[in-house]
Order: sequence, then structure tokens, then C-alpha cells
Amino acid sequence: MPCLSGPFMGPDRHVSHERASTMPQANGNTPRHERRDAGESLIEILLTVVITGLTITALVSSLGTAGNAGNAQRGSVNVDIVMRNFAEATKAAAHDCVVGAALDIDFDPPSGYTVASEPSDPVCPDVMATQLVELAVTGLQGMSQTMDVKVRTP
Amino acid sequence: MISRRPRAEDADSGAALILAIGFVLMVGTISAGLAALVTSGVNNRASLQTVRNRQYAADGAIEEAIAHVRAVPGSPLEACAVSDDWIIDTVNDIRIRVDWSNSCGAVLGSDGAAVAQRNVTFTACVDAGAPCTEADMIVAAQVNFEQASSGVVTSTYVQSWSVDR
Repeated sequence: MPCLSGPFMGPDRHVSHERASTMPQANGNTPRHERRDAGESLIEILLTVVITGLTITALVSSLGTAGNAGNAQRGSVNVDIVMRNFAEATKAAAHDCVVGAALDIDFDPPSGYTVASEPSDPVCPDVMATQLVELAVTGLQGMSQTMDVKVRTP
Repeated sequence: MISRRPRAEDADSGAALILAIGFVLMVGTISAGLAALVTSGVNNRASLQTVRNRQYAADGAIEEAIAHVRAVPGSPLEACAVSDDWIIDTVNDIRIRVDWSNSCGAVLGSDGAAVAQRNVTFTACVDAGAPCTEADMIVAAQVNFEQASSGVVTSTYVQSWSVDR
């Protein structure tokens, strides 16, 4: 196809060449560079979509993991608080101890938490000895902690 | 007829892939930050729990030491003459050493007579095979042992009790 030229056709010169290059040749084949570019963008976009999808999946997964870890962390901290309060209540109970009497631990755990001691019914020890009490706290999501404290009769 | 792609089209080639890789890097950075945050939180929680167990272990060991000192026979003056001593007690799987020293004194009684005061200072630390120092002390306490004229301790009074770490 001949290039158009003239006083008003100058800007279309390249367009005319492009159009000329994309047209099938007389033998029915497309030009070599056209075949080389064919589908390049599609593969690139597909690859991009796959990578982006995998990345977003990883991001959502990591956010979920971080959220779960945060919940577990909070649960653990709350169990720790209950444990400390229970331990202090146990020590406070020993302040009024009389040898041989029951160590009356006055502690009501918050809703959703359970506390236990071993021995379950501790007694005030002799003045020359101490009583080891194992405290256990179970919180939400089944989270639990144990700790030993020692008490004595004043 | 020779045709060439415009230069601008060549420059755009692979731009989406580069953007995707940049996105991967950004998300990777965010994920690494979240992982570091979670790890740090878990480690801090474990550290705080260890500190709590250590504090209550030191607390229990001092209670044990008080009961031990209470058994020291004799009048306040005789008990005050007993040299300083120490014990090792294991609570919460932590070996705690408790050192104590007499810090006895005297006060005037209601009848004007001097009355001996048997005070003992206890310091607890994680056992390192040496006496506790200010630097590694967990709990320090001063306890007054009230004694009858027979020398029997009738009661104990905690005068000070400080948890340092």
C-alpha cells in the first residue's frame, strides 16, 4: 500500500505504515514480529493474576494467624491475671492462719474461669513448716496455667 | 515493508509483572512484620510468666526461711548471736537461695526496761552458688520474731517486703 502524502496527510504517515504492517501479506502469513508478540500480554496478565492471588492468600492467612495469636495472647494474659489474684488470695488467707485449721481461700474467679488448688482443702501448717499449694487456673479456650506458692502460719 | 513497534510500547512490556513482584515484596514485608510482632508477643508473654513464677518462688523460699529461723532456739539475745545463714529451696522448678542476717535492736518497754527486738533481714535470689547481692536480689524482707521469755517465738511480723524484679 503506497504511503499517502500531501499537504494534509503528513501526520498520518506512520499510521499508514502501521496499518500496512498489520495487514496480511499476499501469501497469507502475518509478519514475523507480529507472531512474536502474539499472546504476550495475556500470559503476562495471567501470571500477574496468579502471583497477586497467591500473595493476597498469604496476606489474608498471615492476618488470620496474627489475629489468632493475638487472641491467644490476650487469653494467656487474662489467665495470668487470675492466677496472680488467686495466689494473692491464697497468701492473704494464710495471714489469719491457725495451726491445723483450714486454709480458707476466699476467691471468686471471673466468669468463664475456674480455679483449683492441690491439696483441694489445704490446712494451715505448723509454725515451723510451710504448706506448698499448687494453684491451677483454666480460662477461656481451655487455656490453663499452674503455679506453686508456699504459705506459713504467722 | 519493514515495520517497528513504537518505543513506548517496548517500555511498557512487563510492567504488570514488575507491579506484581512489587506487590509480593510489599505483602512479604507486611507478613514478616506480623510474624515478628506475634513472635515478640509470645516471647514477652513467656518472659512475664517466668518472672511471675520466679517472684512467687522467691516468696515461697523466704516463707520457708522464716519458718527455719523461727526454729532457732534461745532468747532474743541468744538468737541474735547466731551467725547469718542461708538455705536453698526449689519452688516452681526454680532453685532459690535465701540469705538472712540478724538486724537485732532494742526498744524501751512500757516499764522503761530495754527489750530486745529480734529482727532478721532475708534476701532471695536465684541460686548461683554465691550469696545474694543487691544486683540479683528478687525479694528482700525484714521480719520481727516476737518471743516469749521462754524463748519460744509466739508470732512473726513482716516489717517490710519488697519485690525487686
